[in-house]
Amino acid sequence: MAGMVVFWTAAGLLAVAAAAVILLRAARSAPQSGVEDPTLDVYRRQLAEIEDLADRGLMEPAEREAARAEAGRRLLTAADASKAGWTSPSAQRPVLLAAAGGAGLAALALYLALGQPGVPDQPLDRRIESWRSGRLTDLTPPQLAAVLRETLKVRPEVEGFRFLALAEAQSDNPAAASRALRQALVLAPQRADLWEMLGLSLLSRSGGDVTPEVREALAEAVRLDPGALAARFHLARGRAASGDVEGGVSDLRALGRALPAGDPRLADIDTAISEAAAPAAPVTEGPASDMIGRMVAGLAQRLQANPDDPEGWVRLVRSYAVLGDGPRRDAALEQARRRYASQPEILGQLARAAATEPMK
Amino acid sequence: MIVEFGAFALILALVLSLVQTGLSIAGRLRRSALLAGAGEGAALAGFGALALAFAALVHAFVTSDFSVANVAANSHSEKPVLYRVAAAWGSHEGSMLLWNLALTGFGAVLAGRGRDLPRDLKATAVAVQGVIGTVFLAYTVLASNPFVRLVDPPVEGQSLNPLLQDPALAVHPPFLYAGYVGMSVVFALGVAALVEGRIDAAWARWVRPWALAAWSFLTVGIALGSFWAYYELGWGGWWFWDPVENASFMPWLVGAALLHSAVVTEKRGALPGWTVFLALAAFSFSMLGAFLVRSGVLTSVHAFAVDPTRGVLLLGILLATAGSAFALFAWRAPSLAPGGVFAPVSRESALVANNILLSAATLTVLLGTLFPLIREAVSGEAISVGTPYFNLTFTPLMAILCVLVPFGPLLAWKRGDLAPAFRALVPALVLGVLAGLAALWLLTPRKAFASLGLALAVWLIVGSLAEAAQRIRLFKAPVSESLRRLRGLPRGAWGATLAHAGLGVFVLGACFETAWKMEAAQTLAPGQSLRVGAWELVLKDVRKLDGPNFEAETARISARRDGQEVCALNPARRFYPAGGQTTSEVAICSVDVSHLYVVLGEQREGADGQPVWLVRGFWNPLAVLIFAGPGVMALGGLISLTDRRLRLAAGRRREAKA
Repeated sequence: MAGMVVFWTAAGLLAVAAAAVILLRAARSAPQSGVEDPTLDVYRRQLAEIEDLADRGLMEPAEREAARAEAGRRLLTAADASKAGWTSPSAQRPVLLAAAGGAGLAALALYLALGQPGVPDQPLDRRIESWRSGRLTDLTPPQLAAVLRETLKVRPEVEGFRFLALAEAQSDNPAAASRALRQALVLAPQRADLWEMLGLSLLSRSGGDVTPEVREALAEAVRLDPGALAARFHLARGRAASGDVEGGVSDLRALGRALPAGDPRLADIDTAISEAAAPAAPVTEGPASDMIGRMVAGLAQRLQANPDDPEGWVRLVRSYAVLGDGPRRDAALEQARRRYASQPEILGQLARAAATEPMK
Repeated sequence: MIVEFGAFALILALVLSLVQTGLSIAGRLRRSALLAGAGEGAALAGFGALALAFAALVHAFVTSDFSVANVAANSHSEKPVLYRVAAAWGSHEGSMLLWNLALTGFGAVLAGRGRDLPRDLKATAVAVQGVIGTVFLAYTVLASNPFVRLVDPPVEGQSLNPLLQDPALAVHPPFLYAGYVGMSVVFALGVAALVEGRIDAAWARWVRPWALAAWSFLTVGIALGSFWAYYELGWGGWWFWDPVENASFMPWLVGAALLHSAVVTEKRGALPGWTVFLALAAFSFSMLGAFLVRSGVLTSVHAFAVDPTRGVLLLGILLATAGSAFALFAWRAPSLAPGGVFAPVSRESALVANNILLSAATLTVLLGTLFPLIREAVSGEAISVGTPYFNLTFTPLMAILCVLVPFGPLLAWKRGDLAPAFRALVPALVLGVLAGLAALWLLTPRKAFASLGLALAVWLIVGSLAEAAQRIRLFKAPVSESLRRLRGLPRGAWGATLAHAGLGVFVLGACFETAWKMEAAQTLAPGQSLRVGAWELVLKDVRKLDGPNFEAETARISARRDGQEVCALNPARRFYPAGGQTTSEVAICSVDVSHLYVVLGEQREGADGQPVWLVRGFWNPLAVLIFAGPGVMALGGLISLTDRRLRLAAGRRREAKA
């Protein structure tokens, strides 16, 4: 309510100030009615300048004469044509008052039709403060992340960053989650669970590929805690994916042996082993196809980082299709279809790319 | 409350523009100083209201008020404060507000300071300025309102395109808009002159300072934009004949033609019709630029992606405003007096040649910009008109212009004599030819056209100074006499000399950089090096260094020449999680006026499985001159603007003091 009063007062004052400027300017203009046409002044000044330049030797005598004659002619013509005749009739003052006052009223009417009076400002600081003062359990993950970010700016501590990472991950913001975990690791570099979380967070950003960055974080987790199961699992997957199938499968089997019988995670390990041991696509053999594979992987990585690239998605889908990599082709196609659902032209290009025959 | 206050202030500015139009027209028709003065007051108040609206929007950006749709779509709470402020004009809606702020600002200066103008002309010009303001403010309020609120504001904003989070780009739009919209006053004075039926020497003098100010702002704005593209996009180039770049270049070319044409009208009363045509064309090209950038017909790093409906509205504004002005011109032009006569060899003729060449150059740029769009609209086939087209059409025209530039100021008005002008330019000719021959013989690879360009650049720079030397009778009169003349030289003359010399400086840099730049790219592991001409770039390491709203890979590169480290460079590659975009942060090492320019590319996997990075290096000789040249030109414009003869109401103040 107080906000509304302040708003209407400020709006009213602005309208009054605008009216005052209009009236004051009109009042200042009025006494000047009937002044001489400034054109004459311009030509007089032009004549004076010619004399000035000539006196300083910057104009040849012949040029001076010609210029002086021309400016003189202009002055005479302007003097003949000069017409004053401007007045300030006091009868027009009511019109003026109506225009000055009417401007504010018209603006008010238009604002009531177009604006949203009563909607308060909502600066982020104030919103965070209100979330902080409420029950944390009522907050959505993005709200919780915002609250934690603000709190951690003042009082950085490891568990806070870990919670922030969880909230960011739930907010579908893996990049921010990774960042929060890195900040936590600055404070607690010996915590294996944080390294493992960081590795998993980076893994979700890379679309499941064990990149050097992922490998580095997971390896650090295993170094600090050899029992870090998730880290070991993905490192083994990564090892198999990078070409060392035998080593990767062996690591996975070792991991399986470490789990008790009936552990549901064994199923994941079996799946990973069968995926790793599956025969490689024919085109992935030889140095040239290695290079193609790396280029396609590079493209996929680029699109994860910078996904708004329709041409890139079409190229990626076509590449997977040519390489005969059905699962990756379908995953990329699905991702791109979701992104460009409203653009039929791109959807058509994607469908055509997906239908490309694999290379024999 | 502040956001809604801004929304109200914006609407008030729109109503005040209407009031400004109505009162000014009524004042002119009734010859009432009271009503015309009130119209001027409305212009001043309108600017004040818009300044408050703009401040309210900046406040919303600074405080990350995501209940404002424009803030939610273009900002992020983790962005540094400078870029949160700059984001206020980083979007279509916010930049329209800035456009209107500049428009009403120039209108307020016209209303408040134009005491030298005759009442009839001024009242009509203020009314025209009011019409332009009304149209653009109505478009902003009704179709591009930056104060639209969201019922359910997001927790975080979507952030501004990271390419736009840059200091040069934070200040580039205000300069550019000041240039674009400054031309609106020239346009208003042109329309007013046509309405009043008075296009004479005095009118040309009134127009010149406005054209000069707008052109100077535009020069700085374009140069800043080019500099931004040079170091932010990481492509190693500085001008790409991008349609949006062309959109800003066309009003600049027309503005340059207008400045020269207005001199002829002012000094000799000649070319009145042509001068007023250019006055109308300059702002029409500015509006065309606004349409091209905002209509969605272009895809460019510089363009705002806006829906076609709003594009059609802008096209309507362009057609209605420019169309009615040119219709008025067509109606009134036949009645204009032709003005003073002049011989084929005279300063007037030189300035006419300048105008023909600049106008032809503008047409080639217009054709190169619009033809692909028209062809795509008609046949659905996308084609691109690139550098080869402009090299074949625009460059020869400009080369001829550069040859003629030093002659103009050396010729007398009305009837000139070529022989003394030639004599005065002999040193420029000799030095130019020597520079061209030296370039041809000494530089590898040997490039004839680029050597010719260097010769032209030296001709321009020395030729511009030759004119000043002649005016002060350097070496022809005693030193004391030359010094006395030097002190008496009007600032306008200094401005012209600087602007012409600045063009030469630009040509020098552009030719050298384009012809003799060197480039190399290679994937490097830490410890490996890349050779670019005489330079060896050694990649020391690449570190992860996170910024306030980005994650960065920053390389440490040692730039060595003859085994000695000259520069330590830190090019970076940034990832902005908020928008999911990656940018390159170029590292530049300035060596005298040349640049060693290094870009860090993406990380790849090396042969041994270790990470390697693509590093691109460029040696851009004399690159600094490309941006310094326009700086000197703009400085020339501003110095001319301080010339007592061009200042508005100078005569009145002098009389008042007396």
